[in-house]
Amino acid sequence: MTTEVVGMTALPVGASRPRRAPLGRLLRSELRWVFRRPRTLVGIGLLGLAPIVIGVATLFVTSGVTGDPEQGPPITALGGSALTLPVISLSMLLLFLLPLVASIAAADAIAGESASGTLRGLLVAPVGRLRLLAVKMVGVMAVITAAVLVITVVAVVTGLILHGTSGLVTLSGTTLSLGESLGRVTVTVGWVLLQLWAVAAIALAVSACTEHPLVVLSTVIGGLIVIGILGSLPVLDWLQPFLLSDNWTAGADVLRDPVYTGDMGTSALRALCYLVIGYSLAVARMATKDS
Amino acid sequence: MAQAAPAPVALAARTRGLRKLYRGTVAVDHVDLDVPQGSVLGMLGPNGSGKTTTIRMLLGLTVPTAGTVELLGVPMPEQAEVALPEVGALVEGPGFHSFLSGRDNLLRLAAAEPMLAGKAIPGAVEDALARVRLTDAADRRFRGYSLGMKQRLGLAAALLVPRRLVVLDEPTNGLDPAGTREVREVIGQLHAAGTTVLVSSHLLAEVEATCTHVAVLHRGTVVAQGELATLLEAGSPALVVSTPDGDKAVEALRDKRIPARSLPDGLQVDLTTTTAPEVVAILVGAGVAVHEVRKQRTGLEELFARLTESGDAQPDVDGQEEGWL
Repeated sequence: MTTEVVGMTALPVGASRPRRAPLGRLLRSELRWVFRRPRTLVGIGLLGLAPIVIGVATLFVTSGVTGDPEQGPPITALGGSALTLPVISLSMLLLFLLPLVASIAAADAIAGESASGTLRGLLVAPVGRLRLLAVKMVGVMAVITAAVLVITVVAVVTGLILHGTSGLVTLSGTTLSLGESLGRVTVTVGWVLLQLWAVAAIALAVSACTEHPLVVLSTVIGGLIVIGILGSLPVLDWLQPFLLSDNWTAGADVLRDPVYTGDMGTSALRALCYLVIGYSLAVARMATKDS
Repeated sequence: MAQAAPAPVALAARTRGLRKLYRGTVAVDHVDLDVPQGSVLGMLGPNGSGKTTTIRMLLGLTVPTAGTVELLGVPMPEQAEVALPEVGALVEGPGFHSFLSGRDNLLRLAAAEPMLAGKAIPGAVEDALARVRLTDAADRRFRGYSLGMKQRLGLAAALLVPRRLVVLDEPTNGLDPAGTREVREVIGQLHAAGTTVLVSSHLLAEVEATCTHVAVLHRGTVVAQGELATLLEAGSPALVVSTPDGDKAVEALRDKRIPARSLPDGLQVDLTTTTAPEVVAILVGAGVAVHEVRKQRTGLEELFARLTESGDAQPDVDGQEEGWL
């Protein structure tokens, strides 16, 4: 370190440029913190069990309806394969549990750190406010990505164990190779991630406005419920193109042959808009936030 | 209002016309604070007098409603990334994560320190832990720390890097007498190394024992600041005289219209209208046997009481958040 200036002498001039800790170090530190949180690990672990439950449950449904050919193969009967199980698991979890994971991560990221007084420490270090927000966004996106990947891997493995590589049948009745199936699962994974990152960006904006993590949680989950209700009212048809979760069942469109991309494309674009808007709001709030 | 010596002094921190409103409540107003470089400045004030709010604005944690802040010669919060790397702070109690150990908490903060090279981080953390005597408890979770240990860990975080300014907000909260002494030692070491220290406290003895300068806040504004010794003497000046002829002395002084009153073994003379040599000359001229004469130091407690005596309870607005809920 430089020599200390003693007494009433003038301040040295050399120290006038901004100094920052390396971004890579901040990111590593953030990820280590995020993934050491017990609740992150428990949450991801529990979500990882969901595909097993769904896969086994559909197995019983399938065997229950086999003797009734008149009704045709119900959708749930297709739930067990390495193609359909991950897609259906992700689609179901996207409705509430995955947004919950995203909101919890975003709530802890800023509001939680503010509540525990640790945000001050980082800001005084100093980590620039916008840099800190970017690091936080990466951390939240990492949690979401980890959760989605764990679900997907568990679902694919469960599907393979239950049904092997045969029976990779689409909703349209065609059969796919394992490679093709995994390709389509990847498309769903990417689409689901985008939707969740959009949720996270909004949640992060709320997180920057409060020091109560619960406020973030209730705002985001409550908001999704309200959006769901609004989207189901015929009078409000005109509103639907603006509602984030409007086409959230579109992830299952990869199960058609050929893949129907219309709804997925629209909702992906919409998620991108939400992502940009949410992050911009978070930036605006973070710049002047009291901490 | 007492002022510091007029000679040009480099300031480690300086505020002018600082004002902060929290939703219509004035937390801080017209704060012109000077923290001379190399000083140990004690910020004194009752709870809710605006100490923490002022500190938070100094560090760029809160944006002032009006006024300017300079920290280590650069404006805040605009140039936070210039000044703050050389500033260590413990504000509003120690903030750490309960699920991490003391060491991991410090490692996380150290990763954010611009002045620490990556390789130097583990060493810096160990040094800081040793300095506050937490090495043995470093691997325990923060959750299980006592109040004193939490406070020490907060101090350790402020000392991770050699600093030019260290800001300590109520550093001895929750510490036992031994811990308080250790904090004083640390402040002494920092002072000896030329670091400027700004320490806020409502404990007068603590400030009197460690500080070279004092700023007294009351109801969100600075009511006095300057060197501790100057401030103490600027109080009500009085001379304490030891003599067996107390009554005779009081009489002699009253003849000259100098207010004085008897004490058990002497008298106390008010110096507002006169000087010490004059008093001694009068006493000696009157044949009073003078054993000892000393100026009465006001004592910080008396000074503080005088400055803040109209101090009814003030709503505690320190650190209030501007959040939504």
